[in-house]
Amino acid sequence: MRIEKTFQVKEPIDQVWSLLSDPRRVATCVPGAKITEQVDEKTYKGTISVKVGPSATDYKGELEILRLDAENHEIEILGKGQDVRGRGSASMKMTGKLRSLEDGGTEVTSVSEVNVVGILAQMGSRVISEVSNIMFGQFVKNFQAQLQQPADAATGEAKPINAASLAWAAAKGAFHRQS
Amino acid sequence: MAKKQLVQIKVNGRNREAMVEPRLLLVHFIRGIPGLTGTHVGCDTTHCGACTVLLDGKTVKSCTMFAVQADGCELLTVEGLMQNGKLHPLQEGFKEEHGLQCGFCTPGMLISSYALLSKNENPSEEEIRWGISGNLCRCTGYQNIVKAVQYAAGKMEQGGKDDLPNIA
Amino acid sequence: MICRTSPEVGGMGHSIKRKEDLRFIQGKGNYVDDVNLPDMVYGHMVRSPYAHARLKGINTENAKQLPGVLTVITGEDLAKANLAWMPTLFFDKQMVLATGKVLFQSQEVAFVVAEDPYIAADAAELVEVDYEELPVLVDPHKALDPDAPILRDDREDKSNHIFHWEVGDRAATDKVFEDAEVKAKVHAVFQRCHPAPLETCGCVADHNAATGRLTIYLTSQAPHAHRTLFAIVGGIPENNIRVISPDIGGGFGNKVPIYPGYVCAVVASLTLGRPVKWIETRSENLQSTGFARDYHMTAELAATQDGKIQAMRVKTLADHGAFNAAAQPTKFPAGLFSICTGAYDYPTAFCEVDGVYTNKAPGGIAYRCSFRVTEAAYLIERAVDVLAQELKTDPVELRRKNFISPEKFPYKSPLGWSYDSGDYDAAMKVALDTIGYDALRKEQQEKRAKGELMGIGISSFVEVVGAGPAHTFDIAGIKMFDSCEIRIHPTGKAMCRMGTKSQGQGHETTYAQIVAQELGIPAADVTVEEGDTDTAPYGLGTYASRSTPVSGAATAMAARKIRDKAKKIAAHLLECSEEDLDWEPGKFFVKGAPSKAKTIQDIAFAAYTNMPEGMEAGLEAVDYYDPPNLTFPFGTYICVVDIDKGTGEVKVRRFVAVDDCGNIINPMIVEGQIHGGLTEGLAIAFMQQIGYDENGNVQGGTFMDYLLPTAVETPHWETGKTCTPSPHHPFGAKGVGESPNVGSPAAFVNAVVDALSHLGVKHIDMPIAPWKVWNILKEKGAVN
Repeated sequence: MRIEKTFQVKEPIDQVWSLLSDPRRVATCVPGAKITEQVDEKTYKGTISVKVGPSATDYKGELEILRLDAENHEIEILGKGQDVRGRGSASMKMTGKLRSLEDGGTEVTSVSEVNVVGILAQMGSRVISEVSNIMFGQFVKNFQAQLQQPADAATGEAKPINAASLAWAAAKGAFHRQS
Repeated sequence: MAKKQLVQIKVNGRNREAMVEPRLLLVHFIRGIPGLTGTHVGCDTTHCGACTVLLDGKTVKSCTMFAVQADGCELLTVEGLMQNGKLHPLQEGFKEEHGLQCGFCTPGMLISSYALLSKNENPSEEEIRWGISGNLCRCTGYQNIVKAVQYAAGKMEQGGKDDLPNIA
Repeated sequence: MICRTSPEVGGMGHSIKRKEDLRFIQGKGNYVDDVNLPDMVYGHMVRSPYAHARLKGINTENAKQLPGVLTVITGEDLAKANLAWMPTLFFDKQMVLATGKVLFQSQEVAFVVAEDPYIAADAAELVEVDYEELPVLVDPHKALDPDAPILRDDREDKSNHIFHWEVGDRAATDKVFEDAEVKAKVHAVFQRCHPAPLETCGCVADHNAATGRLTIYLTSQAPHAHRTLFAIVGGIPENNIRVISPDIGGGFGNKVPIYPGYVCAVVASLTLGRPVKWIETRSENLQSTGFARDYHMTAELAATQDGKIQAMRVKTLADHGAFNAAAQPTKFPAGLFSICTGAYDYPTAFCEVDGVYTNKAPGGIAYRCSFRVTEAAYLIERAVDVLAQELKTDPVELRRKNFISPEKFPYKSPLGWSYDSGDYDAAMKVALDTIGYDALRKEQQEKRAKGELMGIGISSFVEVVGAGPAHTFDIAGIKMFDSCEIRIHPTGKAMCRMGTKSQGQGHETTYAQIVAQELGIPAADVTVEEGDTDTAPYGLGTYASRSTPVSGAATAMAARKIRDKAKKIAAHLLECSEEDLDWEPGKFFVKGAPSKAKTIQDIAFAAYTNMPEGMEAGLEAVDYYDPPNLTFPFGTYICVVDIDKGTGEVKVRRFVAVDDCGNIINPMIVEGQIHGGLTEGLAIAFMQQIGYDENGNVQGGTFMDYLLPTAVETPHWETGKTCTPSPHHPFGAKGVGESPNVGSPAAFVNAVVDALSHLGVKHIDMPIAPWKVWNILKEKGAVN
């Protein structure tokens, strides 16, 4: 499943790039995600918790930076995780690109190929795309907030989104689709 | 595990009470506590209607309610349709018009039809089909179920209201 | 000629009301989930989320610690008792609980048993399974590619190819095609779907340590065969097993296989010494139990320019899922698919089928398919319409030109069937007259001129049911006879038991009517029981429309044995010789002196109180019937559709179904069967598919996506009949339960294609959902 998202921030491209190219800091913007260790210079281990209503899935997996192009401000990462209780898996290959805007800000574009295996996948793209829309919305907020903090500020974890509101919003989103 | 709670539900005119977990589904309460196994479970996504019962006069899918939500309410299940050893005209109609084959959807169909006829004494075929559209059947193709409901409507028109079970 | 009994007796032809209804309308049916035994516990299955993965390890500790959990069984545990695998009904084996790897999403991995079903479900969530994902194979066309993942490590032959089967004359057929004036070809996919009876599968396994007996309440369409299999597989003495199929909430073939849940429940009960109940959820039912169809078929017809069919050539790819669990007779890996030559008279044909494994649930024979006859009938009826388009001729005329004519019966088909009897044109005529065919064609022309879309679809199908003669048919080695035992009591009432098992077909009524017909005992006085293997005579069960042709025949034969003995008793009572006696249903009377008579009730009483010298007491008989042939019901269905050019929605305006199933026992029950089957055919044609994405995720795994028609989508069905009795059946009956599923999909699809044929459309695969039609309309520039 392909998910394409674009958003703008006020900050200049170099500042945005320094956040985007730092997996530890970016991970703190993803709701429910945590980097647990760095394996080598481009591989990290981590976890992410996704709760939709009463259904909680904890994925444990790896993040690999496939390509880091500082000149063109492009990053390609591959994230793969398995449900800790063995109820499925997910993988995502994401390309993130930055573009300078006329007003001095930056446009961030991400294109992801997402693959989900397991019970969640049976619900089909309707639930997955709604959930990822909501998670992405929160990611953007967190990303923008991170940008406004100094680079060496203590990084905490972004809390997972409240489960009930995620379920309700996903259901609403599924029925009232705005392109 | 959540603490058990007392629920009191009047089922087919009889008071029933039990200590239940809050997550106990109403259909499991009905099948387990008074042991009325006429109400069936046919799916897990609230589609099939085999679990349909009448709750304070309205049809509900009892698989999508918790027993605690029905505390203090009155329930009519298929077992409550017969009165004093006499079949309800709907039950008669299902038999006369061959409105059932395997019988699994039948209790839900009877309750939905009962609710329909209590609001609309002389429904058209289209109204009947809409009225039972929340109940799935695999065996009959619905055609004879429609005839069964029409039979009952006709009988009830003649027989008057005293054919109906007495639930307040 | 069948002599008509009075309505009070209720023999053949009477639409007597059903005897079984009384308990169902009061909600007092006894389905498996209604069985509650003292000390009973509950099982819940842990299932694989992956379509193909290596099983690295299972951690059941957390699950076992949950208060109320009694045991958690894994494949490793079963392997110690040699039970991790079990034989399928078709010479393959299937995992009961996974060991080594999993092969389809929702495959059974562990079985949790707890004091109550909610705790069992909680515990199932606590079972941790470690998987290593493997590449997935979901496209059957790729199963034989050199780089396809090999699914079955356990087989010696490391390939995904299960079987190749062929029948007919390949060389002769190829020659006819080479020289043919006209050829028509269609590639038709019969999509994977699922019978989805309203009651899911389940059991209560009760091993009683005090008596040493194992009683299994089971959703089974074939209780005796299941008992024998449990005995062989489980090593339990067969006399210590009792299978009881109580009331079954619909079968449609879904309840023929033995499922891992049953085996796990039995093992758990043997281990714990308590009754174990396992009832699957709807999702489990749709995702793991016996699916139907998944046949990818190519048919070609060779014909002369003036429309005479000369030959048929068929090649089919069969997707069997991860294990070959297709429940069909041994010599028929593709079931009775070779009936695909249909209702038409031509001498040459060839058919080949290849079965492959994929990472999907096992099954294939289900959903009222008569052992793949649904696939076959769909194929020929689509092919004939494609040929009609090719020849630019009316599809009715093309069919009538090629129908096997009545004098040709018994008819030897080019693929080896001996059709017992048929009059295909007679059924066609009734259908045409009922629907007003000529007027409809005129209307279609007028509508086309205005740009409106209307279609008429014909399906003239031939069915083959009533398996089957011992010389050719067996399932897992057991011959396909069936049985009936009748016992008459002193006061003239009767009790009978059969080896079949109704799941809604009304056997308690129809079998009683057969006895009423043969013996004149009122059907109301005849009690019919099925499903308890301790008391019922051995039979192969109810599926493939075999009850009336086989067990119904056994009932008649048993009744006739009783009549033979009754005649002797009558002669004794009337003090005459047997040759002086005549029979009419209910009594023997002296020829020429009808007042000198004894009723069957008098005779029954005498069988216990006043027997002739040397005669054993009692009035009973048992018959195990080996049918000499199968039977061949047939019919013509005509469907009229209107298509909405804005949405692509297809509305069925009218549907006429003319069926010929020979002599009918209960017309009301037959009509009910037709209504039900047509509704299932409608669902298949327009709504249903169990799909898989490229990762093997099931995309039709709940009723949210797997659609069943409600009363609103279902049109009004018009039924009619002709009667061409079966010459070899004791009362000329053929069976009819599956005919509507066999005949209707082609009628629906032919109607839609007919509505769009002027735009150049030749074929559309099912399910024909509105978006499919809309895309075609868009492509052809015809959207509103």
